Amino acid sequence: MSATRRDFLRLGSLAGAALALRVPILAAPGKAGTRARFAPNQWLSIAPDGRVTLVVARSEMGQGVRTALAMILAEELEADWKGISIEQASPGPDYEDMNTGGSDSVISSWTPLRKAGAAAREMLIEAAARAWKVERQTCHAENGFVVHAGSGRRLSYGALVPVSSTLPVPTDPPLKDPKTFRLVGTPARRIDGPAIVSGKALYGLDTRVPEMLFAAIARCPVAGGKASGFDAASARKIAGVRGVFEIGNGVAVVADDTWAALSGRDALRVTWDEGKNASLSTEELWRRLDEAAARSGHVSRKEGDPAAALAAAPTRLTAVYRDAFQAHATVEPMNSIARVSAGACEIWTPTQNPQRVQKAAAKLLGVAPEKVTVHVTLIGGGFGRRLDADYATEAVEVARAAGRPVQVVWSRKDDFEHDRLHPAGRADLEAGLDASGRIVAWTQRFTTFHLSMFGAFDPNALDSPDVNPWGGYDNPYAIPNLRAEWTDVESPIHTGAWRAVFYPPNVFARECFLDEIAARSGRDPLALRRELLTGDFAFASRPVDRKALAAVLDLGAEKAGWGSPLPERAGRRSGRGIACNVYHGRTLVAQVAEVSVGAAGDVRVHRIVCAADCGLVVNPLGLEGQVDSGVAWGLSYALKGEITIRGGRVAETSYRDYPLLSVGEMPRVEVHTVAGGSRPSGFGEMPVPPVAPAVGNAIFAATGKRVRRVPIRPGDLKA
Amino acid sequence: MARFALTVNGRRHEVDAADPDMPLLWVLRDRLKLTGTKYGCGMGVCGACTVLKGREAVRSCQIPISAASGLRFTTIEGLSPDGSHPCQRAWLEEDVAQCGYCQPGMILEAVALLDGKPGPSDGDIDTAFSDHVCRCGTHQRLRRAVHRASEIRGAR
Repeated sequence: MSATRRDFLRLGSLAGAALALRVPILAAPGKAGTRARFAPNQWLSIAPDGRVTLVVARSEMGQGVRTALAMILAEELEADWKGISIEQASPGPDYEDMNTGGSDSVISSWTPLRKAGAAAREMLIEAAARAWKVERQTCHAENGFVVHAGSGRRLSYGALVPVSSTLPVPTDPPLKDPKTFRLVGTPARRIDGPAIVSGKALYGLDTRVPEMLFAAIARCPVAGGKASGFDAASARKIAGVRGVFEIGNGVAVVADDTWAALSGRDALRVTWDEGKNASLSTEELWRRLDEAAARSGHVSRKEGDPAAALAAAPTRLTAVYRDAFQAHATVEPMNSIARVSAGACEIWTPTQNPQRVQKAAAKLLGVAPEKVTVHVTLIGGGFGRRLDADYATEAVEVARAAGRPVQVVWSRKDDFEHDRLHPAGRADLEAGLDASGRIVAWTQRFTTFHLSMFGAFDPNALDSPDVNPWGGYDNPYAIPNLRAEWTDVESPIHTGAWRAVFYPPNVFARECFLDEIAARSGRDPLALRRELLTGDFAFASRPVDRKALAAVLDLGAEKAGWGSPLPERAGRRSGRGIACNVYHGRTLVAQVAEVSVGAAGDVRVHRIVCAADCGLVVNPLGLEGQVDSGVAWGLSYALKGEITIRGGRVAETSYRDYPLLSVGEMPRVEVHTVAGGSRPSGFGEMPVPPVAPAVGNAIFAATGKRVRRVPIRPGDLKA
Repeated sequence: MARFALTVNGRRHEVDAADPDMPLLWVLRDRLKLTGTKYGCGMGVCGACTVLKGREAVRSCQIPISAASGLRFTTIEGLSPDGSHPCQRAWLEEDVAQCGYCQPGMILEAVALLDGKPGPSDGDIDTAFSDHVCRCGTHQRLRRAVHRASEIRGAR
């Protein structure tokens, strides 16, 4: 695919020089066929029948990236949105960074995709002007046509394909004035919605390739353990089982269908050498965290003299906030298909990081990365789990051993047991208040486990020391003496990126601790925040616009009716809480939660108002969906399940013992954005961090009880 | 190897299965190539594999092929030939899907709910979907879509 486009690009440049000699004829209207497509760059192509194909190089996992990126391209291309097809890119020289994480896809694609669409549009206009022998300036593009304003003549993009293909590709085409956007900024429904509701959408698990077999793998339930022996006799007796193979991380049963593979795997008798983590427990993991938290960490930000200011402060407050191990629990379990042939490999996988998969598979097979083709499927939920390549490389191993294409299927239990968990963490906070109650000093020390997904732990190196702890180092508030510290501890279990990563625990701690100070000094939590959001933000690594954050808080508070009486709920205590955050200096979010607490300590969240300054919004409907999504994620984190470790194993095996927010528990969610902004700033992870502290602060307002640990348990809040 | 006959989306199929306990889910996905029915947990907890048995929403991972014999099932592929079923239309109009993986099961649950209760309350919806997992958080739009589907059905 990319080679074809590159050929077009080259042909186009060469033919452009000869254009004066010979102008190709226009394609006949409605003529079918894709042989001679117009493909000025790797991002789009137009067939002679007018069909526009836009290439998406980021992974679609529910965040709506296929829709948003297509909107950006279609906007500049002036394409007819209704006729757009999407093609998923594969790693190759045309696509430098396909990593889908950090709420970055729309931001980093914004300018390249606009230029790509604009270049094609300019070429189509040029082609029409030449065909009509009129001035280029008298023509414009709209909705899949080039129009000659003077005569009203129109030529479809399809008809212009042959001529456009001969023109040189402009390197710096003019971009549209955002005031003239007709698609970007309007609500667009998911482009793959019709495929989803008809069951035609193909996720990784739905992908089929010729001659494919199915496999399930018995992996050691204890991280770091391995198989010391196995008996496959019973497994081989299962009808449909084709073979049993030992691979790096366990024993694979390969079969004709998924059920035979799963049944065969269950029939295996494997002896595990569980290794040094065999008796690991949540309590032991916490002991290691607590021990590390007693020591100073790496100081990522220091302003003033926090130690002296604390020593001199007439009032000092301290608190420790904790969160728990959490699973991704995507509804589509991990899976991958691999086909291995001599010196090459093809992989179909629901991945957020196809280039990592490509490199890892190449290394495993001892071939060059370009010998590995990775097809990115639609993803049934990612949230960071699918940034790892473990579930793709094991499929390569199985396929190589089986000598046939194989789909490795993970059961739900496999998915919990071998997740890359969000690690538990603790934030130690201390604040000093002067005699008037003003905050004069603030320290935040965050201690958590290293994320093993990103490489082995190095005691002499810290993970991104200058930007951690997220939410602590970029504390937005004007406090004269401030210190942020960070310690990561070697993780004996698999850990990884989990939606918003370090922000949820640190923002929970920071925003609730600020609420504690407000209560102590008799201040309104909103008014206190407003006061602390003045003056310039001096910390350069992640700039915070304090004035803009104050405006977002005001917007959220106004829409939520901050300060107005709450509806009476019989037998329940009601309260409102507020929290805010700036995500890596980009998107500013404030949330107000309205909760009630029953006599048994049961928490109900009735309403979440989310205000945001996220720059230019590409798809408002997609943004609202992401707020719903972030709120549901944040509420599961604040109120529902947690992962525990027993005997070195993840104890939870299904949604029964790891419950998530149910439909009936979902509050009313409202979204309000600050108008304006010339560029998008991202919104996948941003709505998550303020949820838990807004709820925690609302619970305090309702009950006077301060929760310093998530998930919150009803027992914490009994009347 | 035993042979089982069942009707899926109006078509009769005969399936050879060595294991009479093979769940309908895998029969649909691996034998009949109907991958619209999703695997989420295999334990009847998440609802992703929901299909209609007659007019009732059931978990296909909990029905062994031996118990499916002679019965009629509808999967997401058979709900309408062109995606025009009121629930499918409502789901598109409310733009419910995020990753979309759990949505076929949700839609079939909604079909069964509206069949029994043409005008469900929010409470009815919450109860009907209490055993469905959506990790993306489509909950709010899902409720709206069920109400909208109810309106579309009523208007027909």
